[in-house]
Amino acid sequence: MPDYGQIQVGAGTLDARLVLGLAFILFLQGAAGVLIRRNPIVILVCVELMLNAANLTLIAFAAQLHNLEGQLFTLMTMTVAAAEAVVGLAILVDIFRVRDVDDIDELSELRG
Amino acid sequence: MSVPQVVFWVMAVIAVLGGFGVILSRQPVRSVLSLVAVMLALSVIFLLLSAQFVFAVQVIVYAGAVMVLFLFVVALLGPMRERASHRLPFHWGLSVLVLVVFGAFVYAQLQGIGFRAPDKLDMSLFGTVEQIGTGLFTTYLYPFELTSILLLVAAVGAIYLSRGGRTASEVHRQEEEDDSVA
Repeated sequence: MPDYGQIQVGAGTLDARLVLGLAFILFLQGAAGVLIRRNPIVILVCVELMLNAANLTLIAFAAQLHNLEGQLFTLMTMTVAAAEAVVGLAILVDIFRVRDVDDIDELSELRG
Repeated sequence: MSVPQVVFWVMAVIAVLGGFGVILSRQPVRSVLSLVAVMLALSVIFLLLSAQFVFAVQVIVYAGAVMVLFLFVVALLGPMRERASHRLPFHWGLSVLVLVVFGAFVYAQLQGIGFRAPDKLDMSLFGTVEQIGTGLFTTYLYPFELTSILLLVAAVGAIYLSRGGRTASEVHRQEEEDDSVA
């Protein structure tokens, strides 16, 4: 049985497991940033990092399966990421106009 | 190792180092710039995996536009320092625990991964603008139109939140004062 995990890349091949491993590491880094960092902007940046890792898996499977839908879905993800960044940053700027926040935990007025 | 593999390894190392730069930098500017490095490295990997159009979008829209937006906001808000504050006392331990459990779970999934045979598709045109356009405007027309509505909603929301005059929080405070008077 052939190893379908090898993606044809030009003259050579690339193991899809390597690409998925890279996406795994990047996603873990992003998750670690969201959990540990306190600066709201850095947390948004880490969310972008996780979205990029997800995009990488989509592209890898698109190339492995010779299926274009992964790439189309990546474009949708980028749109959602852009919308998320715009709204998140607008909220942050609005909050920062009233007061300084250097810890995300200070924003706890909505806890009910 | 063939040339594509060498390129992949170089870009993977840059991406992982950039990821550490994102989460370990003290200053937000450095986090944002590290993320730009990660995105550029990933875009090269996209190109390797025959996703030419996504490569272009990643460089222009993501690394270009979205990250410039982040940089503008960082520059606007000025330097911020993170200080130790009253958090959960075992916050670090909990974070590490969550990460280890989640990481072990995904790692176990990666170990047992099996690949299905690829579809029969002409790979010479794979990922070109032509193919992407055909996909977006035929099979995926409705999702594509929905993303435009999403972008419109996001734009209107951002303008509402950041318009001049009273901020949304001030309006809220004013309403609270009115309520307490009445």
